[in-house]
Amino acid sequence: MKAKHQRLVLVVLALIALVGAGLLAAYALRNQASYFYLPEQMQADPPQVGQAVRLGGMVAPGTVEMQADGITVTFTVTGREDSAVPVRFAGILPDLFQEGSGVVAEGRLAADGTFEADKLLAKHDENYVPRELQDMDEHQAAEMARETTIGIE
Amino acid sequence: MHGFANPKRFLALAGWLTPLLLVSGFFVTAAALYWGFTQVPPDRLMGETVRIIFIHVPTAWLGMGGWTAIAISSLVFLVWRHPLAAIAARGAAVPGLVFTLVCLATGSIWGRPTWGTWWVWDGRLTSMLVLAFLYIAYIALAQAAQREGVSARIPAIFGLIGAINIPIINRSVVWWNSLHQPPSITMGKSAIDGVFLAPLLFAVIGFSLIFGGVVLARMRALLADIQADARLRRRAMEAD
Amino acid sequence: MREALDQWLFVYGAYALGIGATLAMMAWSWLAMKRAEARREKVRSGSRVGK
Repeated sequence: MKAKHQRLVLVVLALIALVGAGLLAAYALRNQASYFYLPEQMQADPPQVGQAVRLGGMVAPGTVEMQADGITVTFTVTGREDSAVPVRFAGILPDLFQEGSGVVAEGRLAADGTFEADKLLAKHDENYVPRELQDMDEHQAAEMARETTIGIE
Repeated sequence: MHGFANPKRFLALAGWLTPLLLVSGFFVTAAALYWGFTQVPPDRLMGETVRIIFIHVPTAWLGMGGWTAIAISSLVFLVWRHPLAAIAARGAAVPGLVFTLVCLATGSIWGRPTWGTWWVWDGRLTSMLVLAFLYIAYIALAQAAQREGVSARIPAIFGLIGAINIPIINRSVVWWNSLHQPPSITMGKSAIDGVFLAPLLFAVIGFSLIFGGVVLARMRALLADIQADARLRRRAMEAD
Repeated sequence: MREALDQWLFVYGAYALGIGATLAMMAWSWLAMKRAEARREKVRSGSRVGK
């Protein structure tokens, strides 16, 4: 009797774990597939105004501007192709948010075509380079980076 | 478990290899982590948090390696019926689970200062979480199979099926564009500067030695349990 | 406005957690192995005496 109960509990636990795993995977896939936009996708096939989506791309250099209120930041997110989506965000920027590096913005498209972000996540690239390189001028750093970061297509 | 292959040779080997792996792994890992913690310069963007890589990456690889070991051992067990392979598969489960959990936890701690969030339902993170659940289910299943005297083939089949998740984890950052960066280290190539790469390789070696030692210790414990139970059962039958 | 988090806190946390879990796993697996092997020896010697 006791053994039977134990077996039952184990089977149920295993089933819950498997179903949970499947649901998590499906949830993640759904999130990725229909709610993640690249800038070129957002321009070609924009989501409905007000629908919660994610926008992922690169912060275009020279576009980050602090507004007069001191808390709202505007910048442009670009993708691989020649595309640009203006983004507005009011809040605390993550420490790794920088011009020229990756960003994932969670929010919604406003009627004027600006992406209103509730949350900004900084995306790191696959390169790990010590801080010393940052003190060199850009040309040197690029040279050095090319030598140390092999394998990026 | 009928027809248990004589594990004498395995026990003779594991007798001295288990402490050797654990002790050497301890010292290599300690040296690598000390190196990474104190000697490595901060990363250009991530700053000091880059040091987490020396725990996060080895445990991630071994978490996936653990299930690969389960799958290969399960296949050997199913095809050649070698009972020691079933023990080996079960031996890899606990260290695999622990390293997967350490990988998830350190990744979460790393994500907060670099990405700005503790967790995101990204393909890589989700598939790694699924791996942790698979380990838990596998351990429960293997234990139940032993206790109930059910064939060890059932957990072995589960171990094989669960291996589908490994290539999914591996490819997840390429398939689903999201927060986790693409692989830095692929076949023969690395986008990691030498000052970070050298201690990382040492940490991988050290954690692997520990992993091997724990697998052997688990296998010895499982074997001893099975042998003791078998003897008790035989004695109970003789007494009847 | 930047978050300006103290990065070292996160490094300490990750190292404490990773090292603690690894050491605990090593200690537990070693002790569990010793316990299981001691039990096997006890059962073995017990059978020779004939209980």
